[in-house]
Amino acid sequence: MLLKHGVTAPEPISQSIARRAPVITTFKEELIRRLNLPFTPEDLHEDISLLGSGLGLDSLDALEIILCIESCFKIKIPDENVAVLRSINTVVDFVIEQQERKGVTA
Amino acid sequence: MRTSPLKDRFADKGAISRERYGVEVVARVADKQTECRAVRDAVGLTDFSFTRKYRILAEQGLDFLDGLLAGNVPKIRFGRVLHTFLADDDGLLVGDCYVANNDEEFILLCESIVPDGEIDRVMQAHGAAVAGVEDLTTSHVLLSLDGFKAWEIAKEIFGADVLGLPYLSIEVYPFQDQSVRLFRAGKTSEFGYLLLVPQAVAPALFDTLASAVEKHGGQLCGVDAHDDLRLEGRFFNIHAEGLRVRDPLVLGLQWMIDFDKDNFRGGEAIKRRRAQGIRRKIVGVAAEHGCDQLVTGAQIFHEGRTVAEVVANCHSFVLEQPLGLAVFPVELAYSGLSFRLAAADGPTVRTISMPPIMPKSLTVKLDEM
Repeated sequence: MLLKHGVTAPEPISQSIARRAPVITTFKEELIRRLNLPFTPEDLHEDISLLGSGLGLDSLDALEIILCIESCFKIKIPDENVAVLRSINTVVDFVIEQQERKGVTA
Repeated sequence: MRTSPLKDRFADKGAISRERYGVEVVARVADKQTECRAVRDAVGLTDFSFTRKYRILAEQGLDFLDGLLAGNVPKIRFGRVLHTFLADDDGLLVGDCYVANNDEEFILLCESIVPDGEIDRVMQAHGAAVAGVEDLTTSHVLLSLDGFKAWEIAKEIFGADVLGLPYLSIEVYPFQDQSVRLFRAGKTSEFGYLLLVPQAVAPALFDTLASAVEKHGGQLCGVDAHDDLRLEGRFFNIHAEGLRVRDPLVLGLQWMIDFDKDNFRGGEAIKRRRAQGIRRKIVGVAAEHGCDQLVTGAQIFHEGRTVAEVVANCHSFVLEQPLGLAVFPVELAYSGLSFRLAAADGPTVRTISMPPIMPKSLTVKLDEM
C-alpha cells in the first residue's frame, strides 16, 4: 500500500472494527459524561471536530479531553501531540497506536 | 440571475464565473492548485456574496430564528456565532447557516442549495415580516478572507483587536464611515474572516484587501477551491456532500441540532429518524496517488458487492492524493478499512480519519502575537 494516509498493511475488516469500536464507544461515553454534552454516543460522528467548530469546545475542555484519554486508556498525550485532538477519530487512532506499542489489545 | 456587486472587480482579475442555484458565483480566478496552496500557505480572498444575508432585530427576531433553525438561538452569547442549518419540512438540508448575536441584532448568513425565491418563501411563511427581517443580500457584499496569514491582513486593516476574537465570534469595525461586520469563522481549517460590507464601500474594501493579499503572497480565489479546502479540512460543505445526501443525521451534523428544543423547521422528521436509528453514515476515504476513479457518484465495493457511494471528492494538494467522502452502512463506517473502488476488482480505497491534514494555522497562537 502506497497511501500516504492510514495504516500501511490491510487487515481483515472485522478485525479492524473489533479493535476500533470499543475504543470509540469508551471515549464517546466518557466525553459525554465529563463534558455534560447533550448528545448520545450515536449522535457524535467520529470525524466531529473536538475544538473550535463541531463540538465547539474551548481550551479548558481540551484539558478535560486529555484527562479523559489518560483516565480511560492510561495513555498520556505529550504537549507537542495536541494535534491528535482534531477529532474523535484522530484521538482513537492515537489510542490504538499507543496500545499497539504497549502490546495492549482492546 | 443574481450577480455580485464585485463581479466586475473579480472579472478584471481574470475570474471565471458560473451559475449555482440561480446565483452567479466566482468559480476560480487562477488554477485550483494555486488557489488551494495560497490559502494553506498564505491567504485567499473570495467573493461569498452568493450567501443570503439577513439582519433581524433581537427583540422581535429571537423566536423567529429559533423556530426556523436547528440550533439553539437563545443560547448564543453576545458577540458569538452559532453554526447550524435550515431544513425543509422533511428535515432535509436547505441551508448552512451562521447566526450571530450582535447586541441588538442577529445576523443570519445562509449558504443555500435552493434558489433565492424558495428561501424567500420559507422566510415569509415563518413570519419574516412580523419579525422585522431585513434582507441584506443585495445591499451588502460578503467577502471571505482565509488562510495561514489571514490574521495579518485583518490586523492591518481593522487593528490588533482582531487577534483577540475567538473562533465563531462577531465584531463591528469602521471602514470609511461605514460599519463592517466581521465574523471570525471560515471553513477551510485555516484562519478565516467573513466580512459583511455595505455595498457603498465594498469596492474600496475589496481593493484594500486585494492589495494586502497580493503583498502577503496570496491569491484571489473561487468557490471551487473552497469546496476542496473544506473537504480536506473536513468542514461540512452543503454544496457538495450536503446537496447529494441532504439528511443531516447521515452527514453527522447532530452537533448543529438542539434536540431538546420543542420544534424547529423539519425538527419532527429529524427527531423521528433519530429515534429509528441511523443506518448510513458519511466517512472519509482516500485512494492512492494518481487514482482518477475516486469521483462523486463512484461505487465502493466489498467482497464483490456495492456497499457505499462517493458523495464528494477532491485532490488534496497537501497530501498529493485523492480524497473523498462516502456514505457507508453504519456496520462498515469505520476508519482504517480497505475496499475496492468503481468495481469489485477496482483500485483500493481506504476509509480514513478526518481531518487528514494538520492545518498550519493550528501552529499559530494569535494571543501571543
